[in-house]
Amino acid sequence: MFVYEKKLQYPVNIKTPNPAMAKYIISQYGGPDGELSASLRYLSQRYSMPYPELKAVLTDIGVEELGHLEMVGTIVHQLTRNMTVEQLEKQGFQDYFVDHTAGVYAQAASGFPYSAATFQVKGDVIADLAEDMGAEQKARVTYDNILRMCDDPDVIDVIRFLREREVVHFQRFGDASGAG
Amino acid sequence: MSDKDNCTYKEGPLPSCAPLAVPMLAAQQHSEPAYESVDALTKGTLFPGLDLPFMDYVAKGPVEASPLTELMALDFVCQELALYLDTHPNDAEAFKKWKSFTALAKEGRRRYNEMCGPVQRGDTAMFDGWVWPEDPWLWNGRKAGKK
Repeated sequence: MFVYEKKLQYPVNIKTPNPAMAKYIISQYGGPDGELSASLRYLSQRYSMPYPELKAVLTDIGVEELGHLEMVGTIVHQLTRNMTVEQLEKQGFQDYFVDHTAGVYAQAASGFPYSAATFQVKGDVIADLAEDMGAEQKARVTYDNILRMCDDPDVIDVIRFLREREVVHFQRFGDASGAG
Repeated sequence: MSDKDNCTYKEGPLPSCAPLAVPMLAAQQHSEPAYESVDALTKGTLFPGLDLPFMDYVAKGPVEASPLTELMALDFVCQELALYLDTHPNDAEAFKKWKSFTALAKEGRRRYNEMCGPVQRGDTAMFDGWVWPEDPWLWNGRKAGKK
């Protein structure tokens, strides 16, 4: 069971529309190493986990990832909500706009719709934990790459926070594999 | 004689007595030192040892103070300690700290409720009417967050 909290984990206040930026950041919403993959991976792997510590860590990190999904959705929303037709044309946002207007859709930066093929549930402690640690590093690199391209301080601040959470989660999965 | 002594070069550099595979990582030893709550939220971690930013991308300053960010900071410390406790359930100091921050976060939520509205749907019971659908919905940003 889940209880919704009507707040974000970290504040997101973006002032300037930038559809071009939204188009690559959306990959952390529905892309291969994004937050939707992360939450579904951890919350689904729980059922076959034999140890209490691992059930707890997958639950607690999986739920936090849902919060990150909401934060990334918020970034995309705030980057596109007041855009003009001129901006979206100049910044190459037409292909997204024609299908989704200023809605937030789960897709990769390439436009490929969200796919559960982006993660695995192997039903084996070692295989699943090793995947989880790899997944945190892949998400961390995606945020590194976003930081390399991003020039809006309001966006950088949130991406920086989300990236740091990947570092912490990687450590927790590492600690969990030692404990188990 | 332990199993390890039986390992020979025939098994290669990874001896046969090693476990199947363990994703190895230097384990975190302690829940201290720790940042203060607003600092922790700003940096994205409670633990200085895990504060590993990309290049020079560090926070320009602490998150702007408000009833919302105060609650976010307290909830964030609870979350960080909870994840730590999941893998270090016998750390009594960390558990004690988690308990005290859980109490602080409860108070913080009450203060936020009074100034800005419900956080969880159940908080709506302290209001005179069904205010749950009203702003602030936080994806709208700061403007909607102020009443």
